[in-house]
Order: sequence, then C-alpha cells, then structure tokens
Amino acid sequence: MSAFLEIKDLYVNAGEKEILKGLSLSINRGEIHVVVGPNGAGKSTLSNVLCGNELYKVISGNIDFNGENLLPISVEDRARRGIFLSFQSPVEISGISMSTFMKYALNSHRKFKGLEPLDAISFAKHLKIRAKALGISDEMLKRPVNVNCSGGEKKRLEIFQMAVLEPELCILDEMDSGMDVDAVKIASNGVNIMKDSKRSFLIISHNNDFLYEQIKPDYVHVLVNGKIVKTGSKDLLLDIKKSGFSQFQKEI
Amino acid sequence: MEQVKSLNNFISEVKGKSEFYENVVDTDTNIKVSDDSQVFHYRICKNVKNTLKVSLGKNSVYQLITLVLGDAEIGVDIDMKGENSSCKSDVVYVEGKNGKATISTFLQHNAKRTKSSQLIKGVAFEDGKADFLGRIYVPYNKKEIEASQQHRALLLSKNALVKAVPMLEIYSDDVKCAHGSAIGSLDQEQLYYMKTRGVDALEAHKILTYAFLNEVCEGILSDDLKNTWEILIQECLGQNV
Ligand SMILES: Nc1ncnc2c1ncn2[C@@H]1O[C@H](COP(=O)(O)OP(=O)(O)OP(=O)(O)O)[C@@H](O)[C@H]1O
Ligand SMILES: [Mg+2]
Repeated sequence: MSAFLEIKDLYVNAGEKEILKGLSLSINRGEIHVVVGPNGAGKSTLSNVLCGNELYKVISGNIDFNGENLLPISVEDRARRGIFLSFQSPVEISGISMSTFMKYALNSHRKFKGLEPLDAISFAKHLKIRAKALGISDEMLKRPVNVNCSGGEKKRLEIFQMAVLEPELCILDEMDSGMDVDAVKIASNGVNIMKDSKRSFLIISHNNDFLYEQIKPDYVHVLVNGKIVKTGSKDLLLDIKKSGFSQFQKEI
Repeated sequence: MEQVKSLNNFISEVKGKSEFYENVVDTDTNIKVSDDSQVFHYRICKNVKNTLKVSLGKNSVYQLITLVLGDAEIGVDIDMKGENSSCKSDVVYVEGKNGKATISTFLQHNAKRTKSSQLIKGVAFEDGKADFLGRIYVPYNKKEIEASQQHRALLLSKNALVKAVPMLEIYSDDVKCAHGSAIGSLDQEQLYYMKTRGVDALEAHKILTYAFLNEVCEGILSDDLKNTWEILIQECLGQNV
C-alpha cells in the first residue's frame, strides 16, 4: 500500500529554471516530517507544488495523495481534500477581514464534504476557541487579511487558519521565522495539539533547536539542490547543527 | 442627525450635521453647505445623467460617496468657497455589458486652508467602459491647500476599457497635491492564496473584486446602506467576474 503522501522522482521547473530534480518523499498518516536544506534548495517550491501553484511546472514524476493522483487536481480541490500550506511569506488582501475570509474558506470545505454552512453562532465559536488558544485578538480577526500585521503576526494567523480548517496534511514553510520566542512556543503547541493519528505534518525550518526540541519530528529529510539527499531520525538535526549542509553537498 | 432618503431637487442650504441618501435622477442637484456644518452624502447613480453642484462654507466638511452603475454621465462640482473647508469625494463604479460611465469631477479650492481627497475605484468587465476626468483647480495665492486624487481600476476582460485623465490647474505655490491612477487586473498571488484555503476560483474572483471596491464602501457610516450598496454591486458583478 502506498503512503498517505507519496512523491516519486519529481522534476519541477519554474519557467526555464530546473528547481526540483528527482525528488522522492513519502509521508504516512500521523507522522511529522521535517525538511531542511540550504537557501534556494527548493523547499518552498516543493510546498507550492504540493498545493498546485501554476507557476511551477511538473516535468515528470508523480504525487499521490490519499491514494489519488494529485497532479490533475486544482489548487482549491487540493485544499478541500485536506492539504494546507502555511506560507513563508503570506500575501496581504485588503478589503476582506480574516474572519470573513475564513467563513468562505470553512464553508467551502464543508460544502465539499456535503455539510451545510455553519450558522453564525457556531462559526463565531469555532473561530474564537482557536484564536484564543493562539493568542489572537478579535481586533486582529477584523483586520483585512494580513494587512498591518507584523511578520510574526502573519505567521500566527497562518497557524490560526490551519486550526480553523483542520487539514490532514499540514505544510509549514518557516512558520517560526519572524516570530518571537513566546509566539513560536504558542505555534508549536498548536502543532502538537493538532497532531493526531490521521494528520501529517511537513515542516520546513532553518531553526534546528526549534525543530529538535519543540517539533520532535519522526523523520528529517535533507533537501539539497532539488532532491532529498539524506533521510534520518531527529538526531540528524544535531548533526546538521554541528557540521552544516556542506557534508551533503559533497555527496552529489 | 437629519436623514433624507431622497433628495432630487434643488437644496438651498444645509446647516448642522446631516446625512443624505439619494437615488439620483436626471434633474441636477445643488447643495449649499453652511459655515461649520457637516454633510455626509451618498448617491446611487444608475442609468442617469446628472450634475451635482456643491458649495462649502467656512470650516464645513462635506463627504460624498457616489456609486455609478450602467449608463451614466455624472458630474461632481465642488466649490470650496469657505476657508478651512474640506471635502471627500469618493466614487465606486461597476461597468459591464453595454455599460458606460462618464465621471467628471471638478474640485475648486477657492479659499485658503481647504482640503480635498478623492478615491475613485472601479471595475469594468465584458465591454464595460469608464471615463474619468478629475479636475482640480487652485487659484493664485491660495495658501495651505491639500489635494489628493487616486484612481484605481480593475479590467476583467479584454474588451473592457477604462480611461482616467487627471487635470491639475494649480496656480498657487503653497499646495500639497498627490494624484495617481492605476489600471490592472486581479492579483494572481492573492487568488492563489485564497484557493489554497479552499475557496473556489470563481468565488475568489468575486471576493477579490468586491474587496477591491470595498475600500471605498467602507467609508459609508450606516451599516444598512453599506449592505444595500453591496447587494447592488454584487448584482452588477453577477456571474461575470
Ligand atoms: N517562480 C519562480 N521563478 C523562477 N525561479 C524561482 C521561482 N520560485 C523559486 N525559484 C528559484 O528556485 C530556487 C529554489 O527556491 P525556493 O524558494 O524553493 O528555495 P528554498 O529552499 O525555499 O529557500 P529558502 O530557504 O531561502 O526559503 C531558487 O533559486 C529560487 O530563486
Ligand atoms: Mg523557502
């Protein structure tokens, strides 16, 4: 049986540029995977390809998600099937508040599952519980999406959206960057609370201590120059902290 | 606060603080805002030809938001006669099939320390068209003047057409004036972001289009009126965006 997420020999271009060059990775339900690698290795590209971003062209290889070929599926349908990306740099959208945005998003997830839209009271409750747990004020939810938010606040709101939509594959692209120590703790608690036997995580970060101590991944993958060059347990993080990525760069 | 639902005739003079809602018809409208008075004025201009003339007394504040739909030829003529008067004249237009908006604004800073600001935002789709002419006039020797005019439009199809012409006639040297116009399409990154949250493409287009216009509608004080405008705008956007 194939894994929950199965990426096989993936080649991806952006325009003329080859970014992913034979990347393979598999994730089972309930596992936390970490991807580390030098700047420009292709980590964010991988996240965006999983979401179906049309800027990136899959040249060859496969992605299966939950037993289904993911590649022909649209961005929004991937989201509704349970793929969520917490962006490295979330965009700002003026003119629509975070809470209204989440109403559209959550109801479209519910529609996909054949459920009725949530009534106003249940929706408000759904948001409130999660906002509170993540230290997000009512005022922040009334602001236009990500507008007038600091880098750390944006990241916090990404985690909040994840908690609201309850995805099955959570991809977190540098969720800890720009956050202060307390915010990182809150966010990683969020991850740990959401962790269950059905939900998987793919977490990208440059902060090895954060990954080792707060995320405690089941697997660590090293992405260098468009492919996974090494996979190991969380102890691999200590090794990288000590010796950097050059040891792997020599292997290719 | 005085509220007049419809105001279709000559209005001689307004005193104190008042709020006007107007479903504009072809008869022109004239308003004189008295010294130290404040007027909030909301106009829906659908398939009409109308010119609004306003004059402002000393220390008065006039805030106008105009919604332009369908085939409409609208003039807004504001004379800041009184010292220290200020006006805001914002516009939202939505032009689809067979629609054409011609919007001409003429803001005259005829007294010192007068301030004007204009935010004009519009959407054109199918073969919808809009012409915006924004004239600002500051005579010689009028001091401490501030004027800003920003026009933004979204073109949602190849046949849609929007033209914006600012006309600044400034003869005083004590003026802060900012103006700009940008015509573009929906932001692909924003669309992608919304889709990654499960919002479908058509809905995301609609939300972003409305969000774009909403920057102007947010200035409406009454929530009821805001809702009325939103319904009207959504109706016009229909299935077309
Ligand atoms: N849309 C694009 N068009 C062209 N080149 C791109 C595009 N997106 C990414 N790249 C290039 O692909 C390479 C990989 O970028 P990516 O953002 O995936 O790296 P990363 O591993 O996430 O790096 P970082 O650790 O700095 O976030 C970089 O050289 C980048 O410039
Ligand atoms: Mg990156």
